[in-house]
Amino acid sequence: MTTAPTVSASGLTLRYGGTAALDDVSLRLREGITGLIGPNGAGKTTLLRVLATAVPADRGAFAVLGHDPGTTAGRQEARRRLGYLPQNPGFHLDFTAFSFVDYVAILKELTDRAARHREVRRVLEAVDLSDVRGKRIKRLSGGMRQRVALAAALLGDPGLLLLDEPTVGLDPEQRMRFRELIAQAGESRTVLLSTHQTEDVAMLCHRVIVMVRGRIHFEGTPAELTARAAGRVWSSAERDPGARAGWRTGLGTFRNVGDPPRGAALLEPTLEDGYLLVLDGEPAEVASL
Amino acid sequence: MSTVIDKAPTVFAPVETGRRPAAAVLALARFEARELLVQIPVFFFLLVYVGTTAWKLFSPREDMNNYPILHDVDRATQPGTLLLAVAAFICVNVAALRSRRHGTDRHFDVLVLEPWRRTVAHALSVVPLAAVTALGAAIEFGWAALKPGAVGHGSVAELATGPLVVLLSGVLGVLIARLCPRLAGGPLVVVVGFATLMVVSSVVGQTHWLTWLHPVVSETSNNPIPSDLLGRPAAWHALYLVGLSAVLLCVAALVSGGRTRLLKAITVVALGAMVTGIAGQSPGDDAALITARTKASSTPAAFQSCVAHGRSTYCSFPEWTGWRDDWEKVVDRIQDLAGGGAGGAPLTIRQRIPVVHQLEGDAAIEPLHTPGEVTAGTRWGGNRVPEFAVGVASVLVAGDEQAVSKMCDARVVTVMWLAMAAQDDPMTAFRHVRLDDSLSGSAVALAPTNPVGMSAEQTRIVRALLGRPLYGVTARVKAHWTELTSPRTSEARVAELLGVPAAKNGTGAGESCQK
Amino acid sequence: MPEVGAAYARVRALLPPLWRALPWRVLGAAGGSATALPALARLVSGGHDTAFALILLRSAEVALALGLAFLLDDPARHITVAVPTRRVLRNGLRLALVVPLVLLCWTVALLLVPGEIRPPAGDVGLEAAALAALALTGAAAAVRFTDEPQPGAVVAATLLAVTVLETLLPERCTLFVDVADPGWAAAHQRWAVLLLLTVPMGAALLPERIRRRRALAWTHR
Repeated sequence: MTTAPTVSASGLTLRYGGTAALDDVSLRLREGITGLIGPNGAGKTTLLRVLATAVPADRGAFAVLGHDPGTTAGRQEARRRLGYLPQNPGFHLDFTAFSFVDYVAILKELTDRAARHREVRRVLEAVDLSDVRGKRIKRLSGGMRQRVALAAALLGDPGLLLLDEPTVGLDPEQRMRFRELIAQAGESRTVLLSTHQTEDVAMLCHRVIVMVRGRIHFEGTPAELTARAAGRVWSSAERDPGARAGWRTGLGTFRNVGDPPRGAALLEPTLEDGYLLVLDGEPAEVASL
Repeated sequence: MSTVIDKAPTVFAPVETGRRPAAAVLALARFEARELLVQIPVFFFLLVYVGTTAWKLFSPREDMNNYPILHDVDRATQPGTLLLAVAAFICVNVAALRSRRHGTDRHFDVLVLEPWRRTVAHALSVVPLAAVTALGAAIEFGWAALKPGAVGHGSVAELATGPLVVLLSGVLGVLIARLCPRLAGGPLVVVVGFATLMVVSSVVGQTHWLTWLHPVVSETSNNPIPSDLLGRPAAWHALYLVGLSAVLLCVAALVSGGRTRLLKAITVVALGAMVTGIAGQSPGDDAALITARTKASSTPAAFQSCVAHGRSTYCSFPEWTGWRDDWEKVVDRIQDLAGGGAGGAPLTIRQRIPVVHQLEGDAAIEPLHTPGEVTAGTRWGGNRVPEFAVGVASVLVAGDEQAVSKMCDARVVTVMWLAMAAQDDPMTAFRHVRLDDSLSGSAVALAPTNPVGMSAEQTRIVRALLGRPLYGVTARVKAHWTELTSPRTSEARVAELLGVPAAKNGTGAGESCQK
Repeated sequence: MPEVGAAYARVRALLPPLWRALPWRVLGAAGGSATALPALARLVSGGHDTAFALILLRSAEVALALGLAFLLDDPARHITVAVPTRRVLRNGLRLALVVPLVLLCWTVALLLVPGEIRPPAGDVGLEAAALAALALTGAAAAVRFTDEPQPGAVVAATLLAVTVLETLLPERCTLFVDVADPGWAAAHQRWAVLLLLTVPMGAALLPERIRRRRALAWTHR
């Protein structure tokens, strides 16, 4: 890819008390969907909040579409160009879906009333909420509320979309629907998708970043991450004590990840296997899987 | 499935705990109590409470603290605990709304421990804070009780009121949280409740039974009376507070959905306790008590025991016998300084209380007209000592207390010198015994009954005398005693007799007799 | 000037949803009790004095301030944090919407107190303004220094605790003095100082931080 990066960050560091939520993070995001995975507390949400200009970093600099959020004017410009779906979006529950998104649209400086309403209808249509746009948010289900928040993030066709665990708590069908929405959204812009679902990454992303303890441990394509596990996944009848991780599958045999013994029956690796191996050296996190 | 599983999967049997909701409530209450005690407001108010209590205990300015009257000290512990009560209210209220604030109530509401039991646990979490309050009150009281000069009898019910009020406000915090789960509720309810209380109490005035519905009824007076004449329904009030707390707690539990038979039974019992408490505390002072107070004021001798020490007799109410030695020391020192017959005159020191209509406020004690009888108050230490000395000296000089009121001549000089010279630090005592804390000009000097008026010239003479060596002045006083105690002697003559140079601009004779 | 026009259009578009998004229940409860309390002075008959009216007006002051502590609560804060419309504008507009109502409430409360027992209106108004400024500064500080979308409850509880503590201060530095007290004028100078201190502090806390913990960031350089 030859286009200029949408986001380029270098040396981002953010400490809360003694712990580093972000520890010297540098990255470049380009058009397409980038998956951000990592165990809980790895700093994914913090990274998204910093990129969304919700919280300034202690150190380091970054640019969004050529604007430096380290200055007031630059931050305004960056905010005009980004959409953010936070991890726990809150809502004014008495607002209707339409009026809430309209409210956010005003805050996004869409002042022309007719154009703004057109835009609100467009994003609600995009997230398939046209039918319920007159309903109050307190009457909407969790999945619908999540889509209201996504609609708010899509307002104004932002060049950068930051999504923080958007599919958490959704049922499988809603999740499929959400994946479609994200895939659509990523066709013509840069999306950074923080998630715990490795299948989301496998299905949607053209690049993937693995974060552990505030640092980036892997950056590459999903295929490259999967390739990390090539030749390191095998099946056995018993739990293999040498495996980094192992679990009994529905077939009754054990699927092991790690360094296989000689002559083991190797299996086709998945992205998750590669992810587990990247986490290698983080025993507590692997054990909790 | 054809695969043979050669090892049975390990299944962990659920631990059989049995259903013991009471234990769970207690465990939760313990947890919440720990949370409560580390809340910044609670911690801060606790610090302020401890600070003010310590200040009261160690404050050097109040020498009267060395002579505490225990049945006043017990209820003096109450107002300070209101601080903790407010902190308990706010923090318990915030804690009870915590799960709602963080949206966990939808989850917690379906847990084994029902919401109403969690409500109870929140209310019980105040108990340790109330225990800390009780400890504070106990230390404050115990500190006073251990003083050698302590007299009187404390009441457990009075001491328990403070902690019970903390408990009550905590329970109120939980109830408000359940009744108005909006977060703004708590603080706003405090303000509105306070204002409404002020309005109600201003409308109904000082009706006895309504006054006693307040959590803290602190009737303070400068003239303590014997404990059996107090007539404060403290025990009923404690029962009322316990009952009210329990009723509010039960209402909170019922509002949160508790419907067990035990809860309903407790509600009934609590209601009964509260009503009994109200019924017990509501009647005003009965006729017998009022009669007893009047008698104790008019004919205290009937209630008192007397003891003869040296030249004089000391009569006090039974609870004050410990102070007779302190009185004796003062009387003896004054009589040693006096001349003529006064040095050996037998005095009767009579402890007296003013006419008590209600506990609050101050009333003056009427002067006695029996010759040689001196009034002693029910307080001692600090300024009360020179005041008593003024009383003793004026009876020695004028004969009886009634005569002192008419004493507006040079005898004042003798009286004041006698009283002050008997003090450890005469000049300081002289300054403090005068109403305006001055050392010059005319002023009124306090005494247990009627005060003594001093002119500017008398003040000047007494001050000059107090600045001189004691033995010289004593010799002159003894030598000219008859002339010094005569109402016909002029100020100039007194000054001359005592060796004080005359004032440059002449004397303002009879200045103190203008009134 | 096109910028001015655009800004005006934005503000005009922003006002209706901001108006709807205000924490109406809390503000209503606070305003309602602030007007209802002084009304009691009129309702209950009898020769009440200025001290009585002062207690009611001060309760009204505190009630209003408690309501204002919730003004900057924004349940959708995590969504609105990354919009180009600045926080200082959003919260400033909230303030602009509410201040006239608060003034109205206060005027009504003041007028409800019978004239013959009404304490000096200017001085009591100063107290109310200082308390309101204190509440708003507390709310602004909570918004600035925490990620909490609705810090109002904590701010209100703190404000109440501070108020209670203040009544316990020794006489020479207390704020709540009686009308008959000779220290009335001196106490109101303290009120004025409080107001003058809190207003710029609150204003300084309104905008978002562009740098985080400057001192810490420095040490890392």
